[in-house]
Amino acid sequence: MHVAVCIKQVPDTAEVKIDPETNTLVRAGIESMANPYDMTALEEALRLKDKYGAKVTALSMGPPQADSVLRQALSMGADDAVLLSDRAFAGADTLATSYTLSKAIETLGLAQPVDLVLCGKQAIDGDTAQTGPGIAERLGLTQFTYVIDVESIDPDTRRVRVRRKVDGGFEVISGRLPALLSVELELATPRRASLPMLIDSFRAPIKIWDAKAINASLDLVGLKGSPTWVKAIASPQVHRAGPKWDAAQGLSQAVSAAMDTLFSDENFAAAFQKGWKP
Amino acid sequence: MAKNTRGIEVAEIISDKCIACQICIAECPVGAIELNSAGVAEVDPELCVGCGKCFDSCPVNAVRFEKKKRRPFPLEKAAEPGAPQQKTDRGVAVFIETVDGRGAPVSWELTGKAGELARQLDAKVLGFVLGSNVSGVAEEAIAYGCDEVHLVDDPRLSRYLPATFGKALSDLCEKVRPEIFLIGATALGRDLAGAVATRLQTGLTADCTGLFIEKETGLLLMTRPTFGGNIMATIFCQRKRPQMSSVRPRVFAAPQKDGERKGIVSRHKFSPPTVELPEFVQFIPAGDDAATDIVSFPALVVAGRGACDRSSLPLLEELAQLVGGVLACSRPVVQAGLLPYERQVGQTGRTVAPRLYIGVGVSGAVQHLVAIQGAEKILAINSDPNAPIFRVADAGIVGNYQEIVPELIARLRDKRS
Repeated sequence: MHVAVCIKQVPDTAEVKIDPETNTLVRAGIESMANPYDMTALEEALRLKDKYGAKVTALSMGPPQADSVLRQALSMGADDAVLLSDRAFAGADTLATSYTLSKAIETLGLAQPVDLVLCGKQAIDGDTAQTGPGIAERLGLTQFTYVIDVESIDPDTRRVRVRRKVDGGFEVISGRLPALLSVELELATPRRASLPMLIDSFRAPIKIWDAKAINASLDLVGLKGSPTWVKAIASPQVHRAGPKWDAAQGLSQAVSAAMDTLFSDENFAAAFQKGWKP
Repeated sequence: MAKNTRGIEVAEIISDKCIACQICIAECPVGAIELNSAGVAEVDPELCVGCGKCFDSCPVNAVRFEKKKRRPFPLEKAAEPGAPQQKTDRGVAVFIETVDGRGAPVSWELTGKAGELARQLDAKVLGFVLGSNVSGVAEEAIAYGCDEVHLVDDPRLSRYLPATFGKALSDLCEKVRPEIFLIGATALGRDLAGAVATRLQTGLTADCTGLFIEKETGLLLMTRPTFGGNIMATIFCQRKRPQMSSVRPRVFAAPQKDGERKGIVSRHKFSPPTVELPEFVQFIPAGDDAATDIVSFPALVVAGRGACDRSSLPLLEELAQLVGGVLACSRPVVQAGLLPYERQVGQTGRTVAPRLYIGVGVSGAVQHLVAIQGAEKILAINSDPNAPIFRVADAGIVGNYQEIVPELIARLRDKRS
């Protein structure tokens, strides 16, 4: 069994902000990291390796420095790592990204067919959750999103059964391989690397594939293959900024002043009194 | 302006403005721009030919470049096949998600918004309804603002699968050719939208919180939170149709239902995909606690990091009941295991728009604030007078919530009776 895991290098988004004075991105000291959802996907792949002896290939698209997330994957136990790096890949939206990754998975399949593609539900920088379904669609893989448990894989009948999160509960569903699973964080906690493997990973060779290596059309990758473009960025707008009162200056005055302000809108006050019933 | 050794006036990237979108890298005809180790674009002055393409294409004005004759932004001509001018591409379509044989609330929020957009484009609102025995939903869709409903009613669509719904919906798009296509960003909608956009090879912008028509071009401008909600990006889709967008529930208001409205219902045949379909095994409903849909309550009492204490929960529950709502929370409270994930408000939780929001000990990280901007009235209680939540609140009380909340409960009780 061959499992490919897609891993994205992302900035630590909790740190990304816009300077309100200059309206520019504050980037000093922001660390890059492997997308946490993707590391959950990697952990699941490694469990399949432990259980079924699957071969695990880690895949990432990004600039040359994104190889650090692949080294991390190797240190945790991935067998192979491929970095998709080419100037032509720059500026890709989710459509171009899913094309590039699917061409790479096809290329991986030439040596050993890929049975399972695992990826995180979404990346924490873009939050789109679109790349996984895009890859599944392009490669004709059975698509399972929001996976919280891989219940079983039968290599003989070539079926996978998963539990996935849906509105109002969970769904157990089974389908044929090859399949793509996009996973939720609760699926698994990523393991720590052992020291010898960590040391090995620094020296491990990482394959670098460009557009030609994956036989990708230059019209479909990067900015050229991306129908959506960014027009502008801004800080999220915050509204209102109503008055506030300090309870230390008098608790009951503060509470009644706040309530008077809140209920100064008569319609709102009336709706509240009626228990919001129309 | 800096010149290189060949005397060419070169472009320069202002590094603290660069957002590393890499558009300039892709646009540069000579490959003179690269991401440097700090993660921002950098121009190699010796390779730069001074064409200014990076300057023209940068979305955030991060390129310093002087050119005597500035060229306009290189928009491609829109009048090519599939262009907005064609009458066939003039509709604003909405995927009508159904729950238990009725339209999901988000569907009507979108038909309302689609109506606004359609009026600016002089276009029709199209409802796309898929399912089994869903003609009732088609009537409902007209009452909620659709001019035309395109219906695929087939027993093979009784349960959602991305393969069947994706095929049916992309087939409909190819037939009806909408200019704009909106899908609710529910669990199902996000799963579906990516599959449909890929089939149609068009652009899709996820989780939009704002949709506008650009006057000059008639293009759809889509605003969405990115970088975990810390930044709002405006995205557009120039060449491909439809312009697709998934929209979070509760961002837009649903219009009034009008049973008198007239519209046309067209039925379409379902041609199933040829692949082997997954087999549904079972549905496990979430536990009572988790099944509470905080989005559907008119009032929310939201516990934050400052009220992350198990012994306080009964007090907050009491407040929530009194205001006709339910208890919700921010991320730290879920992480501490006090409340289930389903109760979480925020960028990674739920976007909410209650009539009344009471934040107790919520400091107001941007991710949280983005998700509550649709609330009608916000009351904030926090011990830190500088907490960002006060900037979005209609009224605020600074102090210890364990003293303030009982006082508030007493006053609200008077108010209610």
